[in-house]
Amino acid sequence: MNTRDTTRDHAPPEWTATARQLLDDSTDALDGATRSQLNRARQRALAEHARPTRRWWLPAGAATAASLLFALMLINPLSPPATIPATPELASGNGDDTELIVADDNLELAQDLEFYAWLDAEDEHNG
Amino acid sequence: MLENRVRTDGQPWMLVETDELADGRAALDRFLRGVERRALRMAELTTGQRDEALDLVQDAMLAFVRNYADKPAAEWPPLFHRVLDSRMTDWHRRQQVRGRWISAWFTRRDDDEAGDPLADAPDLREPGPLARLLDADAGAALQAALVQLPLRQRQAFLLRVWEGLDVAQTASAMRCGEGSVKTHLWRALNALRRALEEHQ
Repeated sequence: MNTRDTTRDHAPPEWTATARQLLDDSTDALDGATRSQLNRARQRALAEHARPTRRWWLPAGAATAASLLFALMLINPLSPPATIPATPELASGNGDDTELIVADDNLELAQDLEFYAWLDAEDEHNG
Repeated sequence: MLENRVRTDGQPWMLVETDELADGRAALDRFLRGVERRALRMAELTTGQRDEALDLVQDAMLAFVRNYADKPAAEWPPLFHRVLDSRMTDWHRRQQVRGRWISAWFTRRDDDEAGDPLADAPDLREPGPLARLLDADAGAALQAALVQLPLRQRQAFLLRVWEGLDVAQTASAMRCGEGSVKTHLWRALNALRRALEEHQ
């Protein structure tokens, strides 16, 4: 069954065409004053369409967002993260200790400790 | 009031915007101009007063333009009548509440109280009561019969028969199912036929 047949099944009886004509005639018979009032009503509605959308919330929203951002910056300012405390020994000690550890010659010293132990013993013996 | 801003295609931005707005306004004007008189008569059949009917139509026009002007024009008829139907239903309810105690003895027959539609079914092949009324004041008889209809039946008849909406569009305008539209329309046709035959 096609669409046209379905529509015909539910179509109003033929006498309603006369009713439709009578109703059309009744609108044609409207007086001038009523037509004028309808015209004014339509113009008012169309003026509503021409009016730009009132985005009254935009300034208020922008001000609120700016205030919120400012408050966040005050509470949690954009500062560098807190420094990690240094190792107590390194922090409290002087720089020489570090040099002793990292210097290349000291590494050689560590590799030849027996020699320096003998040297110390010789110094004590001679001296 | 044009500005010197220019779109990438070289056309002035504000000029294009204004043209689009003017086109939309012209289309709306054509649509409302075409529907406003029938809308007034529908509202008048509900309110029985022209001033009240004009107020309802104006409210409907404003609400329609505010809410549905951006919809495709093909969708405008059922949307406009949905707004108008809503206004008329609200008016009808207010009147019912207002007059409940005053006219408690006067009750208009409700849809649910209607008799068996099959028992009252008209012969659709019959030329119809209006054919015999054409020489008389058929318009007045039809109006009197329409006024006597319950609101939902009258709306189903007017939207489907007069306004030419199909069943789905009528259901959308009346915010009900298609089955309800068919039932309302069936009862309206029966009631109109009876009323017009009695008028002869």
